[in-house]
Amino acid sequence: MEKMSRVTTALGGSVLTGRTMHCHLDAPANAISVCRDAAQVVVAGRSIFKIYAIEEEQFVEKLNLRVGRKPSLNLSCADVVWHQMDENLLATAATNGVVVTWNLGRPSRNKQDQLFTEHKRTVNKVCFHPTEAHVLLSGSQDGFMKCFDLRRKDSVSTFSGQSESVRDVQFSIRDYFTFASTFENGNVQLWDIRRPDRCERMFTAHNGPVFCCDWHPEDRGWLATGGRDKMVKVWDMTTHRAKEMHCVQTIASVARVKWRPECRHHLATCSMMVDHNIYVWDVRRPFVPAAMFEEHRDVTTGIAWRHPHDPSFLLSGSKDSSLCQHLFRDASQPVERANPEGLCYGLFGDLAFAAKESLVAAESGRKPYAGDRRHPIFFKRKLDPAEPFAGLASSALSVFEMEPGGGSMGWFVDTAERYALAGRPLAELCDHNAKVARELGRNQVAQTWTMLRIIYCSPGLVPSANLNHSMGKGSACGLPLMNSFNLKDMTPGLGSETRLDRSKGDTRSDTVLLDSSATLVTNEDNEETEGSDVPADYLLGDVEGEEDELYLLDPDHTHPEEPECVLPQEAFPLRHEIVDTPPGPEHLQDKADSPHVSGSEADTISLAPMDSSFSLLSVSHALYDSRLPPDFFSVLVRDMLHFYAEQGDVQMAVSVLIVLGDRVRKDIDEQTQEHWYTSYIDLLQRFRLWNVSNEVVKLSTSRAVSCLNQASTTLHVNCSHCKRPMSSRGWVCDRCHRCASMCAVCHHVVKGLFVWCQGCSHGGHLQHIMKWLEGSSHCPAGCGHLCEYS
Amino acid sequence: MFVARSIAADHKDLIHDVSFDFHGRRMATCSSDQSVKVWDKSESGDWHCTASWKTHSGSVWRVTWAHPEFGQVLASCSFDRTAAVWEEIVGESNDKLRGQSHWVKRTTLVDSRTSVTDVKFAPKHMGLMLATCSADGIVRIYEAPDVMNLSQWSLQHEISCKLSCSCISWNPSSSRAHSPMIAVGSDDSSPNAMAKVQIFEYNENTRKYAKAETLMTVTDPVHDIAFAPNLGRSFHILAIATKDVRIFTLKPVRKELTSSGGPTKFEIHIVAQFDNHNSQVWRVSWNITGTVLASSGDDGCVRLWKANYMDNWKCTGILKGNGSPVNGSSQQGNANPSLGSNIPNLQNSLNGSSAGRKHS
Repeated sequence: MEKMSRVTTALGGSVLTGRTMHCHLDAPANAISVCRDAAQVVVAGRSIFKIYAIEEEQFVEKLNLRVGRKPSLNLSCADVVWHQMDENLLATAATNGVVVTWNLGRPSRNKQDQLFTEHKRTVNKVCFHPTEAHVLLSGSQDGFMKCFDLRRKDSVSTFSGQSESVRDVQFSIRDYFTFASTFENGNVQLWDIRRPDRCERMFTAHNGPVFCCDWHPEDRGWLATGGRDKMVKVWDMTTHRAKEMHCVQTIASVARVKWRPECRHHLATCSMMVDHNIYVWDVRRPFVPAAMFEEHRDVTTGIAWRHPHDPSFLLSGSKDSSLCQHLFRDASQPVERANPEGLCYGLFGDLAFAAKESLVAAESGRKPYAGDRRHPIFFKRKLDPAEPFAGLASSALSVFEMEPGGGSMGWFVDTAERYALAGRPLAELCDHNAKVARELGRNQVAQTWTMLRIIYCSPGLVPSANLNHSMGKGSACGLPLMNSFNLKDMTPGLGSETRLDRSKGDTRSDTVLLDSSATLVTNEDNEETEGSDVPADYLLGDVEGEEDELYLLDPDHTHPEEPECVLPQEAFPLRHEIVDTPPGPEHLQDKADSPHVSGSEADTISLAPMDSSFSLLSVSHALYDSRLPPDFFSVLVRDMLHFYAEQGDVQMAVSVLIVLGDRVRKDIDEQTQEHWYTSYIDLLQRFRLWNVSNEVVKLSTSRAVSCLNQASTTLHVNCSHCKRPMSSRGWVCDRCHRCASMCAVCHHVVKGLFVWCQGCSHGGHLQHIMKWLEGSSHCPAGCGHLCEYS
Repeated sequence: MFVARSIAADHKDLIHDVSFDFHGRRMATCSSDQSVKVWDKSESGDWHCTASWKTHSGSVWRVTWAHPEFGQVLASCSFDRTAAVWEEIVGESNDKLRGQSHWVKRTTLVDSRTSVTDVKFAPKHMGLMLATCSADGIVRIYEAPDVMNLSQWSLQHEISCKLSCSCISWNPSSSRAHSPMIAVGSDDSSPNAMAKVQIFEYNENTRKYAKAETLMTVTDPVHDIAFAPNLGRSFHILAIATKDVRIFTLKPVRKELTSSGGPTKFEIHIVAQFDNHNSQVWRVSWNITGTVLASSGDDGCVRLWKANYMDNWKCTGILKGNGSPVNGSSQQGNANPSLGSNIPNLQNSLNGSSAGRKHS
C-alpha cells in the first residue's frame, strides 16, 4: 500500500508518530482498549488477550495475559478496558459472567488480580470511573449492572434495569455520580451511582437494541447512542427531557460509537454485521460519512482513538484477527467520489441539471479541482465552532426549457402528424410532404421530397406551379427543371454542360446528355451530403468504368451554348452498377473545395460555386420523355435514406421508405429497415403519437414490425342479453339468437366504435350515446340505470 | 434559446442524479439524503413534487426509469450496497387528492458487497432487465422473467471488470444486427494508468457477456458514460465524462470479416475531445435524437455539443447552473464560461426571454 505517510502530533510534550499499519492476531478480537500513554493497546477476544506496543512502523507484542495450561472461561473476553488513570490496571468482562481485573504491576507471570463472579450471564461491558481509581462498573446480559470497589471482594451496589439485557454502560465525564446504560429493548437509562433503587431517567432511544453509547468528551451533556436500527443519535442530556440533537443514518447496525477527540461534531462507528468498514461521521451531515476506513476483511469489533487529544489516530480490532492503526489522512472520503451533479436531457430538448450549490454559486468562480472539495479537517488542530461547516452541501435543481421554436423537438411532432404516408398517388404524397417540410422550415427535407417526386413520377405530370413552388423560381421553357435549378442554385458559369461519351463500342461518338432529373438528383445529393463521406457523385462518377453502358465524364468538352439533344431515341439500358466505380477526380476536388457549409438542416439550399472544371450533366428534353427507369436512382435514394438515418433523422428515412414502398424496399436490407422502423416507432411513442405510430406499424412491410400491433388485441365480449360469452364472430349471439351489439338509441347493429355503460352494459354508437347523454342521464335502453359517460 | 426554471428541490444533501422518464413528463431526483423524489410536469409546465420517500440507508447515487410498458417503475442504487426497484401504486386514496402518489419497493438487490454506483434498465426490446455496477468492479445483470411480477429478479450475469466501476450504459440500438452491449466506466483513481472504459457484448452462442473492446486511450477516472440513442444508425456513439468530454464512434466491422462466434470487432474513432470545463466532467447526456450532447463539469456549467456536417463537434451553448443562461454560438466554444454569470440579464434580454427565472 502507498499509505506510508507518517504523522506527528505534538501533545503537550509527548509526540505521537506512526502510520497506517496492521498486524495479525492469532484469533479474532472482541474488544480493544488503549493505555493512557497511547503507546500500548490491549486486545481481547474469546481466545486472545494480549498487549501490543504501538511503535512507529509496527505493532510489537509485549505481553500475553493468557497464561496457564488450561485457559479457563474466565479468559474468554467480551470486553476489555484499560484504566485511564492507572497504567497497570485492566478489567475484562468474560462471556461466562465473570468480571476480572488485572494488575500489570504484579511480579508473577499471572497478572490476574481479582475475580467477581456475580453476574449470571455474559458481561457485555465493563467501565472504569474516569476519575476514581477503584470504581468499576459492569453491565450484563442478565439485565443487571454492578458497581465494584476494587478494594473490596464483592460488588458495592447492583442496579436492576428492569429492562432486557444491558449492552453498554458508560460513566459520565461531567457528573461524578452519573452513568448511562443502554438496553436490548431500545431504552437508555441514566443512573446515579448512589441510588441503586431506581434510575434517574429513562427514555427509548432506538427501535431495537441499543448496542453502544459514548459521552462527548467536551460537550459533556451529549450522549451518542447507536442501535440495530442503523442509526446513531446524539442526545442532549442536560435538559429535562433528553433531546435528540442529531441523527446519523448508517448502512448497518451500529456496534460501537466513539467521539473523535478535538473534533466537536465527529464520531466514529463500526458495525457488527455485514459492513466491515469504520466510518467517521460529521453529525451535522448525517447522510454521508466524512471518512471511511476499509482495511478490515471482517466485522470490526473494537475501535478506540489512540489518544484523547489526538484526532488522527484510530485503532481497531476485528473478527478477521487483525489489529489496525488508521490514520485519518489515509481514510477514503466517500464525499470525494460522490458525483456532485446530475444532468438529463429531456424529450423536448429541455435539460434538467442539479449541481452542488458551491459549484454554481456565481461568486465562487472556478477553483482548482482538488482544493475545493476536500475539507482540510486533518490540518486543523482546533475546529472553530463559529466557522460555517464546510461539509454541509445542498444542490440547486433547475430545468432549462427550450423556448418555443428554439430548436426543440416540435418539428418532429408536427412532421409526424402532418406527413401523408399512404392513400394517395405518390406524386401527391411527395408534394404534400415537401410542403409540410417547407412550412416547418426544413428546406433540405422539402427538397428531398421534391426530388423523389421528380424521380419516381412521370415528369409530364409535374405541374409547373408546383415546381415553381418547390424550386422558388421557375420558367416555362422546354427545360423547366434545368432552368429553375440553374437560376436558383448555380453560379453563372454553370450553364455549361458536359458531354458524356458513351463508351459502348461502335457508338462511341454518341454524346449523351443525362436526364434533367438525374442532374437534379446529383445536385441535391451533393448538397445533402455536404462533405460528409456519403458518396455523392455516383452519376457523375466514373471515368474508367468497364461497363458498356457507362457515361463518361468529359470535362474537356464543355459546350458554351445550350445543350442539344443528341440522344438516340432507342434508349440504352441504364443500370445502376455505375455506382461501384470510383468517382471522377475533378468532382471530388470540387467537393472538397466547396466553401458551402451548413451545419443545420434549416440552412437554405444552395450549391457550391463550381469552377469551370466542374461538369454538369445537362438535360435533354427528349430524354425526359423516354424516362430513365426509376431503378436507376434507387442507389441514390438508398444512400440518401442511409444518410438521413445516420444523421439521426430516422423519421425521414422511414417516411420515404413507406411512401416509396416497393420502389426502394428491395435495395435496403431487411434488418436495417426493421431497425429504422423500430427506432421511429419508439420515438413516436415517446412523443405519445400513438396514431402515427400505429399507422407506421400498419404500413410497414417488415414482418417483425407489423406484428407489433397484433399483440394482445383480442377483445372478449359477452352478449348483452344473455350475458354469456360470444363465441362466434358474427353479430348474433348463438344462445339467445339476437343481435348482440345493438345500439340502444337507433336499434341497429353497431359495426365500428361501440360504447357501452359498464354499469348496465347497454350502449351503442358513440355519436348516438354521446348525444343521448347530453339530454338525459338515464340509460337510453330504458333500464333505469344512471349511466356515466366520461 | 433556453429559459431556466429553478426548482426548490428541498433535498437535504447533494443531488446526485436527475432522470426524465420515457415521455419526458416526469422527473426523478435522488440525493445523499437517502431519498428519491418524483416530479410531474403540470399543464403550465411547472414541476411539482408528487412523491418523496426514503429509499435507502445511504447516499442514493442514481435513479432511472423503466420503459412505461412495464408500469411506472423506478430503480435506484445506493452507497448502502443495494439497488432497489420501485413501483407507483395506482389507486384512489387521500394521497391522490393531495396530488401525491405512492411508491412501493418491489425488490432489493443485495448481491453487491460494496457501494452500488449505477443502475440502468436495458432497452425495452430486451425485456425487463436491469444492470448494476458496483465499487468492487462487478457488473450484474438481472432479469424479471415475468414482467408482471416486479418482485422477482434473477441474477443472470456477473461480469468482473477488475476496476471499481462508476457508471454503465446500455447500447440502446434495437437492431437485430447489434447484439446487446454495455459500456462500463471506472473511476478508479490509483496511479496505474489502466484503461477505464470497457465494452461488453452479449454472445448468443456462449450466452455470456464477453469483453468486446477496451478504450485504451481513456486512462483518467470516468464519471459518466452514455451511448447516444441509436435511431437507425449503423454505428454507435459513446460519450464519456472524464477529465474532459470525449465522444467516440464505434462502427461494427461486418460480421463476415471477423471470425464467426467471437465478439464483434469495432472500428473505434475518437471524434471529439473537449476540456472546456477546465476540470472534471461529471455528467454527459444525449438528446433524444443523439445529435446534441450535454455535459456538466466542476465549473458548474452545462455545455452543449453538436456535430456539423463534417462531423466536427462544436460547442453550441453554455448554460450556467444557477439558472442564468448563457447562449454560446458555435464560435464561443472556448470563450470564458463565466461570461454568463456576469451578465445574465443582458443575455436574457438578448434572447427575448422576459420570463427569466421562474420559481415554482
